[in-house]
Amino acid sequence: MNIIMDGKEVAADPGQTIIEVARRNGVYIPTLCHVPALEPAAMCRVCTVELAEGRRTRLVTACNYPLRGDAEIHTDTPILRQGRKLLIELLAARCSDSKTLRELAERYGADLDRFPAENKDCIMCGLCARVCERVGGNVLALCGRGVEISVDTSFGRLSPTCIGCAACAQICPVQTIRIEDVEGERRVIVRGKEASRVPLRRCTSCGVHFGPVIDLSQVMKRAGEAGVLAFNTSVCPACSRRNLAKRLAERHLEQYQGDAHTKDEED
Amino acid sequence: MATATSTAPDLAWTKRLSSPQELAPYRQALIAGTDPNALCIRVCCGTGCKAVGSLDVLEAMKKAVDAAGVDLKVMPEVKRTGCHGFCSRGPLLTLQPQGLFYQRVKPEDAAEIIQKTSIGGEVIPRFLYKPPDAKETIAKVRDIPFFAKQTKLVLKRVGQIDPFDIRDAIAQGAYAGLVKVLTEMTSQQVIEEIKISRLRGRGGAGFPTGVKWESCASQTGRHYVICNGDEGDPGAFMDASVMEGDPHAVLEGMAIAAYAMGSDRGFMYVRMEYPLAVQTLTAAIRQAEDLGLLGQNILGTDFSFRVSISTGAGAFVCGESSALMSSLEGKVGRPRAKYIRSTEKGFRDSPSNLNNVETYANVPEIILRGGQWYTSYGTERSAGTKVFSLTGNVHNVGLVEVPMGTSLREIVFGIGGGIPNRKQLKAVQTGGPSGGCIPIPSKFIDINVGFGKLAEIGSMMGSGGMIVMDENTCMVEISRYFINFLVEESCGQCTPCREGLTRMREILTRITQGKGREGDIELLEEIGKFTNSFSLCGLGTSAANPVISTIKYFREEYDAHVRDKKCPAGVCKPLYYYEIDPEKCTGCGVCRKRCPAAAIEGEKKKPHTIHQELCIKCMECYRNCKFDSIKIM
Repeated sequence: MNIIMDGKEVAADPGQTIIEVARRNGVYIPTLCHVPALEPAAMCRVCTVELAEGRRTRLVTACNYPLRGDAEIHTDTPILRQGRKLLIELLAARCSDSKTLRELAERYGADLDRFPAENKDCIMCGLCARVCERVGGNVLALCGRGVEISVDTSFGRLSPTCIGCAACAQICPVQTIRIEDVEGERRVIVRGKEASRVPLRRCTSCGVHFGPVIDLSQVMKRAGEAGVLAFNTSVCPACSRRNLAKRLAERHLEQYQGDAHTKDEED
Repeated sequence: MATATSTAPDLAWTKRLSSPQELAPYRQALIAGTDPNALCIRVCCGTGCKAVGSLDVLEAMKKAVDAAGVDLKVMPEVKRTGCHGFCSRGPLLTLQPQGLFYQRVKPEDAAEIIQKTSIGGEVIPRFLYKPPDAKETIAKVRDIPFFAKQTKLVLKRVGQIDPFDIRDAIAQGAYAGLVKVLTEMTSQQVIEEIKISRLRGRGGAGFPTGVKWESCASQTGRHYVICNGDEGDPGAFMDASVMEGDPHAVLEGMAIAAYAMGSDRGFMYVRMEYPLAVQTLTAAIRQAEDLGLLGQNILGTDFSFRVSISTGAGAFVCGESSALMSSLEGKVGRPRAKYIRSTEKGFRDSPSNLNNVETYANVPEIILRGGQWYTSYGTERSAGTKVFSLTGNVHNVGLVEVPMGTSLREIVFGIGGGIPNRKQLKAVQTGGPSGGCIPIPSKFIDINVGFGKLAEIGSMMGSGGMIVMDENTCMVEISRYFINFLVEESCGQCTPCREGLTRMREILTRITQGKGREGDIELLEEIGKFTNSFSLCGLGTSAANPVISTIKYFREEYDAHVRDKKCPAGVCKPLYYYEIDPEKCTGCGVCRKRCPAAAIEGEKKKPHTIHQELCIKCMECYRNCKFDSIKIM
């Protein structure tokens, strides 16, 4: 398979997507809705590249286009730069204050104030919904249609199935999902609105809250006994470390004391 | 659903046909049982006529026949049929064997029609059709230009048969194509025949059907045959009429496709807003299964094909193939971003063949008469016929089937009967909301309607909607209307379609309100080109077409809106006013009497004037002035 990217021949395996090949060969393609761990959704369209097939040139999204044969790809042409610029400008109207967009705007010369601000605080990349589905929570999803589309819980209610894993907050490129641990509860806040409340576990040793209460039957279903063991702790990581250190120290000390004893005897 | 079971005759008594050879004798028996010269009254019960009360007419006719009873030598059969096509004339009926065409019939006319026409053999002039600007009425269907100038291949049985009775369809040749493939052809031969016919997808994109079938057939795994009946373009009702008027044509086409691709499972995806189509299809599938024409071991052979109906939930975007398959799977109807064809991985990740209703309806006849025969209709690149739904500012609103390559002039003036109220034709919009506006008067009036030609001039074939627009149509408002439709129907997943369309709607709205700014037209063009090339699915990549094509052909109208703050067509209310031309005004007073806002003043036989501050711009005076003295300023 002969792949030429921006004029240079690059290494690629059949079936790899354009973005995988680009990353492997150090070619920059911007993305807003793609992480390697999740199935690509091609929603943000920022990763659009030009694909030359014979005499025809097509615009395809790099994140989900699988390379199956010879191809020539251009990742940074005037059409693409112009398109990305407009994409960023349009997204900036939804989400005016974002570091990610500011960086991209600088690269592509986009005017962040070109369109009137709508302050929806979300660029609709859908990453939170996809990661939530992947984790198995299915708490957040894309709700509504067209302009009205938004990330929300079922019927906009507090979700009963959230496990409080915080993957959504972690993955959000514009930091619009917040996690607040207060009064023994974890709250997932999406665009200012509470999406779920999950009780936190209290450390039996020091009394600190250290993570959401986990439904062990679900863990059992997915990971079996071994998984349950890993999750079934009643002490916080700090205490757990301290306890381990204590146990180790005691054991070593015992041995040392034992050694000392025999030495004494020898003497 | 209750209506379906009540109107559909129960065929449980009929013997299941146990071999392909049994269909022909069965058909002969059905034909022998009916007298070709028998009186038959076909009442159109398509959606259009139903809306103006044709079901009441049907009931009244039945009652009138019963009441007339002994006076009748032969009992006329009152038949409920699908759409006749001439929707602007409904409720309508045809009387056989004379072939009379009666229009605008009311239930109270039933007794008179039975007494005079059926018994007395007399033609009642007031029900006859009179073409616009003609003096004579026309009595017979075959003499009416609207019908005479059409070529009906897909619609040949629509309006002739009772869609709820499979025997009617079989008597007129339904399922003969299926018998032919089962007895004489291999799968490969079927695909070959379709390729020879050069049949192209009727859903809009025009992909060669034979090639699609071949690529689907070459895949391994369970194959699915899916029919796209999610016709959502505003003003389009071709597929509805086929499903409502002749469901067996579609089902037979699907069964032949299934045979060609080795599939045993099919789905009819029908939009929820077509309850009548769901009823006719439900009845048709049940009856076909009763007779052994669908289901397990069709006609006693090894070939099985089960079809079920799935209804949409009212989303336009579900007409897009990947969204339709998502919806069929029970997921949200959003297009999937995949660079793999659905013939390879579609419904449930299996090879799936999706065709439009009209495409499948073309198949049986191609199989029966051969692909070569089919290419004798249409043009080199677009073979066969196409059904258009002709709507808008045209006399004969309805369903029209013509060979591909027929000129716009023939469709709009020959069949459509021209523009009402002595107005000028301004544009024809084809291809639904993602299509484009073709400007007329121009050389384009003689353009041959086909896949290639329409795309060349910036419009598209689409599924076959054709909206005729007269001089009082504002092109800016039209493009705002379509963009607004698409904003509401966009799935919202991808940025260009969601945000780009929203911005375009915002700009177009402000232009039509007289708040357009310098540079707005260029901005529309910039966003339009961008959404068309960066969007995810077919909806997004064609969404800006109405804007791009109207700017291309009617730029001066945009300029008038933005620079001069004028709407030349007199549609955008803040941008025009009416004025009475004192030279032409005779002072007849019609406008003064008609004005609902009492904004017109004047003495008898002296020129009248309009008080602008009172005028609500309802157009009543403009429409009713016989002397053309009201001007749009």
